[in-house]
Amino acid sequence: MARGADGGDGARVWQHVFLLPEYLKDDSKKMKSGLVFVKLANPCSGEGTIYLFNMCLPQLFEIKVFKEKNHSWFINESVQSGGLLHFATPVDPLFLLLHYLIKADKEGKFQPLDQVVMDDMFPDCILLLKLPELEKLLQHVTEEKEVDKKKYYKYSKEKTLKWLEKKVNQTMAALKTNKVNVSARVQSTAFFSGGQVSSDKDEDYVRYAHGLISDYIPKQLSDDLSKYLKLPEPPASVRNPPSKVAAQRQKRDK
Amino acid sequence: MENSYEETIDKRRVHLRPDTLRDPAPASLHLLPCEVPVNRPTPVGRFFTPAIRMGRDGLEASFRGRSLRGEEVVVPPGFVGYVVTEEKAEVLMGKQDDHERGAGTAGPEALERDCDRFMGATASFSSFTVWGLESIPGPDAKLRGALSWPSLAAAIHAQVPED
Repeated sequence: MARGADGGDGARVWQHVFLLPEYLKDDSKKMKSGLVFVKLANPCSGEGTIYLFNMCLPQLFEIKVFKEKNHSWFINESVQSGGLLHFATPVDPLFLLLHYLIKADKEGKFQPLDQVVMDDMFPDCILLLKLPELEKLLQHVTEEKEVDKKKYYKYSKEKTLKWLEKKVNQTMAALKTNKVNVSARVQSTAFFSGGQVSSDKDEDYVRYAHGLISDYIPKQLSDDLSKYLKLPEPPASVRNPPSKVAAQRQKRDK
Repeated sequence: MENSYEETIDKRRVHLRPDTLRDPAPASLHLLPCEVPVNRPTPVGRFFTPAIRMGRDGLEASFRGRSLRGEEVVVPPGFVGYVVTEEKAEVLMGKQDDHERGAGTAGPEALERDCDRFMGATASFSSFTVWGLESIPGPDAKLRGALSWPSLAAAIHAQVPED
């Protein structure tokens, strides 16, 4: 073993294979510490998910893991089971903030942000408040009031849907530039296995982009966005919740 | 009160040392199409790498008597590949353990909260070799899709223009 730290038993530690944005390498010259893995509430599922937080910038990255059955790595002179490949990509913090804004909206009043973004399960959520230009970001999804120089926010569904529509559009544009890769993936998704292949290519892209964005918003909002974008109902067998299928059956029975 | 709260948060964090990202030694990586259920040193340079040949359609090698076909895959533009490992918690561990017990953190998550952990990059790479059993992983391979993720993620998470 050439590399000292990995010699002997040391090499038995788990080696994680990561892809990180190049600029973190340049930023690292300026910082002594400040890159931290934290557990935050996933805005789609609400479950704890690992994110990478850059305290210096500050900036938030999500970690996605490529994981396929029957893979392993050879890393220099060692073997690492699992064959996992971790991606750290920048994430729009507004998705994570939205999770809390929607929760707080049940109280139906304007609130200061530090009272909205609170979480006993994931206390690191207060890191979100350190992110730059929060006020500007929040304009996309909230109504705001200023009292005694303190800002108060309230979730706005109308503004959020408008914002999400823009997100869908810019995702669609990216899907089109990556055309080769994406067309294969569009066809291989479960969306189109129900037999209702649309002849309208653009509609396929909207639906695919909607699916991607839906990974970052709660189910209810995803359904609302689907209606807002006037997406046709996907095939019942694939996406409809059981209650809806039952309702349709009742109609048919009449 | 404020302080103890901050402390609790800190205990759940895993730090990635930025200075280790600066200049780690380049590593050679191969993604194999089979599961080797161990993590340990292995003489890759003695048995695997010398057997790699340039064939008619890509690289050829064999592992455990099975024939492999592979090709070089470049990491997505704007990204750097790193091999990241956890640093040993050394002597501090014992002390922290006692401290923790005193503080009374219990429950299934207690282990994770014990103390800050540190990770660092031990190597970097800008490309790796992906291997398939008997044929090169095709354009539909899951890995190809995954490698296009950063450009898609950039679009999903870019700020939208104001009205």
